[in-house]
Amino acid sequence: MKTLGKVLGRQPLILAIVPLFVVFSVIQPNMATAANMLNIGIQSSVLVIAATGMTFVILTAGIDLSVGAMLFLGAAVMTTGLVNGPPAVSYLLVVLLFALVGAFNGVAIAKIGIPAMIVTLATLQIFRGAGGHITQQRSIAIAPTLRWAGTGDLLGVPAPIVIALLVMLAGHLVLMRTVFGRYVQALGSSDSAAQNAGLPRTAILVGVYALEGLLVGVAAIVQIGRIGATQPTVGNGFELTVITAVVLGGTSLFGGRGTIIGSALGAVTLGLLENGLVLTGASPYSFDLVRGIVLLAALLASEQPQRVFARFRTHPPQAPEVPASPHISTVALPHP
Amino acid sequence: MKTTPLRFVGAAAALVLLAACSNSPGTTSGGNSPSANDKLTIGVSFDQLNEIRQAELDGIKAAAKEKGDTVVFVSADQDAQKQSTQIQDLIETKKVDAVIAIAWNMDQINSSIALAKAKNVPFIAMDRAPADQVNIAYQITGDPVADGKLAAQQMLDSGKDLKVLHLLGALTDQNAVGRRDGFIEALKGQSKVQIVAEVPTEWDPVKALNGVSNALQKDPGINAIFAPSDYLLPSVESALKSAGREANVGDAAHVFLVTIDGDPNGCKAMAAKSIDADIATDIATFGAQAVKAAHTAVAGGTVDPKIVQLAGLPLTQANFADTKAKIWGCPK
Repeated sequence: MKTLGKVLGRQPLILAIVPLFVVFSVIQPNMATAANMLNIGIQSSVLVIAATGMTFVILTAGIDLSVGAMLFLGAAVMTTGLVNGPPAVSYLLVVLLFALVGAFNGVAIAKIGIPAMIVTLATLQIFRGAGGHITQQRSIAIAPTLRWAGTGDLLGVPAPIVIALLVMLAGHLVLMRTVFGRYVQALGSSDSAAQNAGLPRTAILVGVYALEGLLVGVAAIVQIGRIGATQPTVGNGFELTVITAVVLGGTSLFGGRGTIIGSALGAVTLGLLENGLVLTGASPYSFDLVRGIVLLAALLASEQPQRVFARFRTHPPQAPEVPASPHISTVALPHP
Repeated sequence: MKTTPLRFVGAAAALVLLAACSNSPGTTSGGNSPSANDKLTIGVSFDQLNEIRQAELDGIKAAAKEKGDTVVFVSADQDAQKQSTQIQDLIETKKVDAVIAIAWNMDQINSSIALAKAKNVPFIAMDRAPADQVNIAYQITGDPVADGKLAAQQMLDSGKDLKVLHLLGALTDQNAVGRRDGFIEALKGQSKVQIVAEVPTEWDPVKALNGVSNALQKDPGINAIFAPSDYLLPSVESALKSAGREANVGDAAHVFLVTIDGDPNGCKAMAAKSIDADIATDIATFGAQAVKAAHTAVAGGTVDPKIVQLAGLPLTQANFADTKAKIWGCPK
């Protein structure tokens, strides 16, 4: 009981997911089948992967509006044969390429000092424009050999789920068990305090955006493997869905507080909602309305109400004092 | 270090100047009394760029080339405000002789039509019908309701008992709404072909993929799918494959599949016998007629009829071999 309380205390979104699943299952019994669970897992996988990267970005009090455009660019690169070779080599090249693309965002933010929102708004245009130029805005099918990440399996478990779980686990370990992860949280808790403590701000930010770029590359590989073709609208609005998943998972938009597991649960909540709406036969005209209401209810159920309201009262918020989390106090900060 | 922002600004300004120079329009029609044979500068404003828009643009360019016209093309990237500004630039800065536009927003385009009217520049609406039907010089579109009905007819003609998954396009798009209405209307009262699930896609391939997967999960008895655009076809095929429901026409396990557009995806699927029918839009006629109307209107003539709606051409497995040459998306 104590353990359950601890888990719910850390991931209160579970309090929203379970009732949502139960309600959908009562309305539509097919909801609770193993096949449908896998379905939800596959459909949430791309979001889990991208949300893992976005969690690092938002933890630094940053934002990346270019992930949808990056996803489209990744799809364009995959389908137009710009990255050629055996599947493993192609996948590796795409991932490395997008780590560089992400690092470009990071350098612009950290070195030039332009706000993340402005930089990524500009790179959103650049990446979508580049993708459009490469594909000429046409629909292009992907080579069947490159579809494994979207349609293949590993020991019977669908590849998208395996990849998402690995990414989530690795992201969790990096955030919670490495110095880099603690630096990220420290920087998001208080930029000035972190700088005064001698943290390598530029390196952290470039690293965070490079990591996110890398993960969007992985997400693109999975997504385009699933769809089977690049379409001009791939990734449209994806950035907002990713940010929604991360915030729903409890990560503060003001930085310093959040978990990878929470973001993954946020992504699964969105996947569950989409799946449940179709399975329960909800009217297509009510999807947006129901989606909005359920998301708001999930947010309220998973947040302490006073925190929600306090956030509205204190805008812009005061940056929390460092250390904001128990991890930060254990960081061995380098001497300035 | 301090010069970096200046360098950025300088480089950006140089790029903008280069782009502006490369977009300079050709010579506009000369003389004081324009005739239908004058060489025109035609401003073309599209709501977005995709496979079908590329084909529509190619159609306009081919027709313009035949007449020696110059085409100045802009795309609004699904932004009504951007389209309004772009059309203003075409009329007031580029001084085009006529505008051919595919509107992103049917109401907001009215201000552009009013501007064109005020500047005496004929405004030709293509593919999408604007709310202002008075001040346009000509309009040529598909007939989405008829296309939806034709799609439903393919299912009825099969003589099979079909449980249909109906995919919906963006509910703010008149073509998507028309196709939906036509499809539903044609199936009203039909007992052999029934719609058992509707899934909104907002023309998003991922939503289509997930929506089809979810619907097949909910009702494994679904044995027919209507996709209102070939644009969604890769997603539908991927979902069928993932669900183990992929089978060609003629196979007992085949899911009856009808789409609209006749784009390269559709033609490829018809050739591979993975879909049963595709209602092909007459894209080539759009461009040719729009350019012809521009010449007539610039010369002061009235285009008659002013409003044209072209129903699609049903492409079936029975007529595919004989008809594919007429379809814009099929290799020539």
